[in-house]
Formats: sequence, structure tokens, C-alpha cells
Amino acid sequence: MAPAFTELPTEVLQAIFLHLDPPSLLSVARTCRLVRKLSADAPLIWRHFCQTQFKTWDPQHGIVAKFSGPLSDVDWRSVFVRRVKVEHETLRLLDKVLESQVDRIRHINEVADFGYDVKEVLLRECACDDGKEDVLARRYYANAILERVQRELAVEVWGQLDRGEDVSIEKALAAYDVFTRTGEDVDYETVTRDLDELVQGVHRQYPEFRTLSARAKASTLASFLREQGFQGVADSSYRALRNSFIGLVLRSETHDSLPLISVAIYCALARRVGLDARPCSFLFHVYTLVYAPKDYTLDGAYKPTSSADLDYMYLDPFRSSDEVLASSLQRTLREMGIPTAQHRAFLSDSTTRDMVLRTARNVINSVQAIRQTETALHRINTTWHMAYPDMDNAFYATIWAMLVLETHDDTGAPGASPASRRRQYLPYLLEHFQTHYPWDVALLQQYVIPMFIHQPEGQRLMSFVESMRRVDGMARRPSRRDPGATARVVFRVGQLFRHTRYHYEGIVIGWDTVCAAGDGWIDDMGVDSLPAGRVQPFYHVLVSDKSVRYVAAENITPCEPGTQPSAALMKLAGRHFKRWDGARGVFVSNVRDEYPDD
Amino acid sequence: MSASATPQVGEHQIVLTTSDNATLPVDREVAERSILIKNLLEDLGVDNTEAIPIPNVNEAVMKKVLEWCEHHRKDPPASQDDDSDSRKKSTDIDEWDQKFMQVDQEMLFEIILAANYLDIKALLDVGCKTVANMIKGKSPDEIRKTFNIQNDFTPEEEDQIRRENEWAEDR
Repeated sequence: MAPAFTELPTEVLQAIFLHLDPPSLLSVARTCRLVRKLSADAPLIWRHFCQTQFKTWDPQHGIVAKFSGPLSDVDWRSVFVRRVKVEHETLRLLDKVLESQVDRIRHINEVADFGYDVKEVLLRECACDDGKEDVLARRYYANAILERVQRELAVEVWGQLDRGEDVSIEKALAAYDVFTRTGEDVDYETVTRDLDELVQGVHRQYPEFRTLSARAKASTLASFLREQGFQGVADSSYRALRNSFIGLVLRSETHDSLPLISVAIYCALARRVGLDARPCSFLFHVYTLVYAPKDYTLDGAYKPTSSADLDYMYLDPFRSSDEVLASSLQRTLREMGIPTAQHRAFLSDSTTRDMVLRTARNVINSVQAIRQTETALHRINTTWHMAYPDMDNAFYATIWAMLVLETHDDTGAPGASPASRRRQYLPYLLEHFQTHYPWDVALLQQYVIPMFIHQPEGQRLMSFVESMRRVDGMARRPSRRDPGATARVVFRVGQLFRHTRYHYEGIVIGWDTVCAAGDGWIDDMGVDSLPAGRVQPFYHVLVSDKSVRYVAAENITPCEPGTQPSAALMKLAGRHFKRWDGARGVFVSNVRDEYPDD
Repeated sequence: MSASATPQVGEHQIVLTTSDNATLPVDREVAERSILIKNLLEDLGVDNTEAIPIPNVNEAVMKKVLEWCEHHRKDPPASQDDDSDSRKKSTDIDEWDQKFMQVDQEMLFEIILAANYLDIKALLDVGCKTVANMIKGKSPDEIRKTFNIQNDFTPEEEDQIRRENEWAEDR
């Protein structure tokens, strides 16, 4: 007589349940008491769900240690249930963000408070179906929230570095990736994994590696990296922004990188194979210093010494696997006119903090290069969306990195306190914050205000943050259309147009019946010299270069029916619009709080 | 095959005796898909010619199991560290196995029990996946019907379960 389902041995039933998805398990658990008990008391199944249903966990879970620890140490069902709840709550809050302008910043930050646990659900929303009714807004805000979460993770890492905690060079630099880019493979773990894989490659390819002298190890490692395609970058694309992002360099096909990143990758690998390599901040170029173990020469000879100085050599993994002679570096310094007394500073090893700050300067140079070529050519930068990573995100990252880390006065100028050094970055920070990332208000409060707590800036920032939060929670004053004054406001929110004189592309995001700017602006812009002067409707417009401008009605030329908005504009539009309505040739408004009739 | 008949036993073959006293000659390699039998044979030594009793499995089921073992005789053995939760859990079943598992529910459970007893991990796995596929996407009621499960919950318990499962509801 064959057994009934419920008579199957417990281990067999649990083996069956291990093949179910969570909803099916819940379903079967509702059939009878026995199965319910079996499924609830099966940590193996719930741990299995945690492992297979989710990839990314917030660092607070310490999930890797939990997965490898004893099964009974963790209430896996609760872990799983909590995670599912977080995802549901994230979707609920995202809907609120999309629904109304009121409390938008608050809701974004409520999601962000869940930390990195929200990454997967937000990435799914970023890739939501083209046909979704609010596709542009959904993608825009899902990505905006994820970026907000990741910025905090990056700032945390730089904060740890600033407090003197042990932060690896790859993590400190990967913080730029985490700050600036989103995607499934953008995180610290991926960088760690990529480096670990390279190390395995070293040992596979050079089985005798462990027995080599430090000098031989150093050059073998450098050759290995070159063989793997890590060969720096050609002069023609030296300034490309991507060359400064270690995560991107590890993952890209060409592995194009600046010398600093080549050196960082080299040092990260060296540490993994037990070789002491550190970056060396030479002038205009970062080299690697490789040290011999104490009491040994680089060639492996035993040479006990009471001195703390180690035998060392230079390498330039960006250019070659050959040793660089100290004498040739000194010659270069002399040729550049650097006094001998200062040579030591350029020839000794530097810190991870220096590497992060130097990367900030490299990124700024790249961003400036992009801005100059672009605006010189077109006046309006419309190809920003092709640059990767996003240059505003990248620039914003450098401001934060410098704000957090550039507290040490290395110029020797007396009396420069950290706050006064930091003060210089505030205007840039606030400008970017207000234009692109107003939901960073919580980061401002948590990380920036404490830096200026005893300064006048601290007070000003505090009241600024308070007023932002207050305004966020207030109902917007609606601009209604009526048969009177608004009849002259021909264009509606969502209208795609070209500027009549400057020809740039934009979308109407708001309007006034007459020019509502101050007299100063009106004078500066020569509004009164326009044919219709200041007494004509004025439109707030979103331009494809990310700017928001204020344009007189006479300068708005609506686009012909059938015109497609540019890719750049489509990417930006989600901040104010739900979707592009191709049939009507307009963007569908998502600012109905302010313009209920548009 | 009658219980008393002496089967032809070829070279590299062994004989199994089922719970209903059938004797089945089978290639040693095929029988050794079962870790239980493999260990038994190791204990008995190479020149063992005695029939191996399998008291928990009847002839019909044993034949079915051996058919599977025959088809999979060249599969690499399951590795030792093949911990049940590190394996990739999917309910994909290869085509031959799917056909093989197209049996009535009674036989399906019998095969699973036999695989469990004989310690044939891969077969147990296929069996469990097959049952899992019969559960997937069904409501509790449909599952009860499929497996003839008695609903023994009180209405209060049903309520409690509904509350407990709220987290999983679609938003």
C-alpha cells in the first residue's frame, strides 16, 4: 500500500518543499496542520529562500557570516519575511513618491532608511515595462532613490577612512563607483570578487609564485596584469571619466585606466598574494613602491638589520612590468625643477586617503574636459547622457570625498582648521544638491551639519534643512486655468518645444501669466527689450542639458507633431512627467499638484 | 518471474531479492547507483554470489528504479559535499526523466521512498522535483485535491494563518 502525501517521511517532504518558490510553500502549508508545522520549522528551506530569492543584503545583516554559520543560529524565516516586507514597503512608498509632490523627499528618505536591502526591488522598477502608465517617473525615481542609498554607502566608507579605520584601497576607490553608478554589479563585493578572481589566475598561471623573491613576485604580478589586458590607456582617451572608476575598470573589456587606478589594482592584488606594495604619489603620475619583507632583500637574501627601513623598488604598472629606477625618477624631478629637499615627498609611499583625493582631482579634470568640449561645440550640452558614468554624479562624488577627507592641511599654511578647509566645498555641494539631489537633505543633516556644528554655516544649514523639510510637507499652491488671465498661457505643462532663438530642446514644466522674475533678472536678461516685454506668459522649462530655465512665450516654438524627444530629455523627463504620449506629442504631467488643469 | 526460478546471472551481475520475493539479476554497475547496495557489496566482498535482500521495495517498484539506474548508469557519482542547500534548486527535469516520472501518484511516492531507502540521491531529487511541480502555482484547495489531504484546521486556525501570511500578499 503506497503512503499518502502526509505519510511521506519528514526529510522527503522537506526535500520536496526545498524545490518550491515561497508562495507555493505558503500554499502547501495551508493544506493541513502537519504540513504547516513542517514548513514553519524548516530553517533549511527559509535559509535557502534567503540565498536564492535575493542577492543583495544591507551590510548590517552580516549575511555572509550568517550563511556560513550554524543553521540554528538565525531565525531564517524572520529574516526572509522581513526582507519581503521591506520590498513591499519600498514599492508602496515609491507609489507615493510618484503619486504626489507632497512629502516626496520624506518618502524617498523613508525608503533609503531601509538601506541596501532595497537595491534589487528598485533595480526591477528601473527596468519596468515600457508600457507602464508612469514608466518615465517610475524609472527616474527608482534610480534616484537607489543612488541616494548608494551615496550614503560611499560616504560611510570615506567616513571610516577619515576616522582612521582600516579601509582597503580598492574599497575606498570603489566608493566612487558606488556613489556614481547603479546596476546589479555595482558594489564593493563585486570589486572584491573581481580582484579575488585575478589572484586565483596569478596562482594558476604561476604555480611557483609563492616561492619567488619579492622582486620576482613584483614583476610577475605586473606582467600578469598586462597579459590580462590591464595596459593603462591610450593618450587619446586619457581624460575619459570611466578611467577613474576602479569597479568599471575591472569590469570593462579594455580595462582602460588612469595610472592611479592601475596602481590601486596592483596594490590590491599584491596584498592578496602577500606582497607589500603601496602607491607612490609622484608628480603627475602615480607609481607603485614594492617593499621587501623585513630582514630580507628584494632578491630574497636574508639580511638582518636593526633599521626599520625596508629594501624597495618602483614599478609603473600603467606602462610596463619593468622596474623603474629611483635614479630616473629623481632625474625627472630635477628636470621639472623640484628642489632635492622636496624629492622625498614625491618618492615615498602615500596613503589611501591621498589616492581618494587625487582621484577626486582626476575626476574633476575629466568632467571639465567634457564640459569644455561640449559647450564649446553646441552651447548646450546634450550628449551628457552618453558620458559614463554620469558627470554630475561624478562631480558630486568628488565634492563629498573632498568634504569628508580633505581635513588635513598638507600645504603647511598656519591656522587652517578643517572647517575652514571644508567651507570652500559647500557652495558646490549645495548647488548640486539643490539642482539634482534635493532628497539628499538627510545626508546633509547627518554628515555635513556636524562638520560645521560650531560654525555659522552649521546654523544656516540647519535652518535650510528644516525649511526644505517643511516645504516638502506642504501642499503645493495650485495654478489653475480659468477663462481669464490664463487663457493667454497657450502651452501646457508637458509641451515639447524648441527655443525660437537658441534652438535648444525643452519641455514646459510650469508657467506664469506674466514674467514673475525679479527686476534684477529682468534687467539682466533684457526682458523688456523683447517685442512682448515682461507682460506675456513665461514658462519654466526643462532643457536637455539638465538645466531648468525661464522662457518668454514668444521664444517657445512647439515641436511638430511626430517629433520624438531626444534620449537625453527622455531620461530627465521622469522627474516631472509620467510618460511620453507619442500620439498626442506631449509628456503626461506628474506635477498635477501645482498644475491641476494641465 | 516466479520466486523459485533461478535467474541467469551473467558476469558483473548481482541478484536482488525484493520484498515480494522476486529475484532480479542486474549489472553490478547499475545496482551501484544505489549507495546502500554499493556499501553492502563492498562489505560482502567482490566474490559474493548471494542474492541481496531489499525488504523495503517490491518487484514492480524495484524494476522501475532499476530502469532509471540503467539509463543513468554512466552519470558521474554525486559528490560528497553536495549539501542539499548549496545545490542549485530548480524544478527543471530532463526530458527522459520527465517521461520516466509519468506514473500514477502511488508509484511516484513508491519510487521516492525507494530512492530514499536505497540512497539514490539523483532519483530522489527527480522525484521530489516532480512532486514540487505538482504543487507549484496551486491554491491550498487544489493541492488538497491533488494529494487527497484532509483539511484539519479549525476556522480560528485558518484565520490565524491568513494573518501570519499577510506579509506575502501582493500589494
